[in-house]
Amino acid sequence: MLEEMKREMQVRVRAFARLREAIGGDLTLEVPEGATMSRLLAAVGGTSEQAGEALFEENGELRGYVILMHNGRRVRRAEAGTLTLADGDEVALFPPVAGG
Amino acid sequence: MLTDRELERYRRQVALFGEEAQERLASARVVIVGAGGLGCPAALYLAAAGIGEVRLVDGDVVDRTNLNRQVLHGDRDVGRAKVESAAEKLRAQNLEITVVATYATVDDGNAAALVGGADLIVDAADNFRVRYILNRVALGARVPLIHGAVRGFYGQATTIVPGLTACLECIFPVAPPEEGIIPVVGTTPGIIGLVQANEAIKYITGTGDLLTDRLLVWDGRAATMTTLPVEREEDCRACGNGRCSRR
Ligand SMILES: [Zn+2]
Repeated sequence: MLEEMKREMQVRVRAFARLREAIGGDLTLEVPEGATMSRLLAAVGGTSEQAGEALFEENGELRGYVILMHNGRRVRRAEAGTLTLADGDEVALFPPVAGG
Repeated sequence: MLTDRELERYRRQVALFGEEAQERLASARVVIVGAGGLGCPAALYLAAAGIGEVRLVDGDVVDRTNLNRQVLHGDRDVGRAKVESAAEKLRAQNLEITVVATYATVDDGNAAALVGGADLIVDAADNFRVRYILNRVALGARVPLIHGAVRGFYGQATTIVPGLTACLECIFPVAPPEEGIIPVVGTTPGIIGLVQANEAIKYITGTGDLLTDRLLVWDGRAATMTTLPVEREEDCRACGNGRCSRR
């Protein structure tokens, strides 16, 4: 079967603030080899309803203010669709806050 | 020159960074925008540390719902201008310093005048509209800006040195959403406000490593503090190439 041919890889997800609360801590997710940042974000959002709400707008678009990091480097929102991840990578996600 | 009384008052920190650093604190002017959850603890500790001039800017009055976190205001201050209530406590805390209270809401038109002459701006505002204005003014005047923000058990802080480090719009090109009532426990702005005050003391005295190009993230539920690396964006609308096309 084709499905079985496709290998999975592991990506570590460090979530902060509300997103961490929604996910319940850090995660290691299995995604198909060559998956993009967008694909990973969809998988993170799929872990729970709160996680999905913390990451995505009602129309399914990524919330623009969420800070995305890949192996300790900032990733722009526009790059998420093309940035491919590798086995063992670490992604950090931080939804900033606005109060005083 | 510091008086004998000042030397006695600041003895424990002079032991840490020396008399010359204390003199720098005594001649520093710090503008704190916001006399709320972040501004109260930041102002109190900066006053206690002997910042020569603490200028508070806020256009709000004290509401009873502020009292769980805005620790310079008490029940008897409800209805008073926050800057007046806060300035009174700061003057009582330290007779050696000057406290200036400005009852005004920062906007595009008055921001440059309100923060004019400052050595340092503390962003203790409660919304990103004002924060972006402070960022532009700080960049224009080349005055460092110390950012802090909170919600719930979560907070963030960073130090911006114009021309050298990532600015507020490099780090937050899109503002987090505005909320009507932001839930918050008082300890969160207490912790972040003191991180901001600590940055101000370090900047003025030239001590330690600043929170530049780093975003400090506090999680009060997990009791963890982390810093995430951030960097200047070339096409930033406020400090990069992108600014010509927009303004
Ligand atoms: Zn910038």
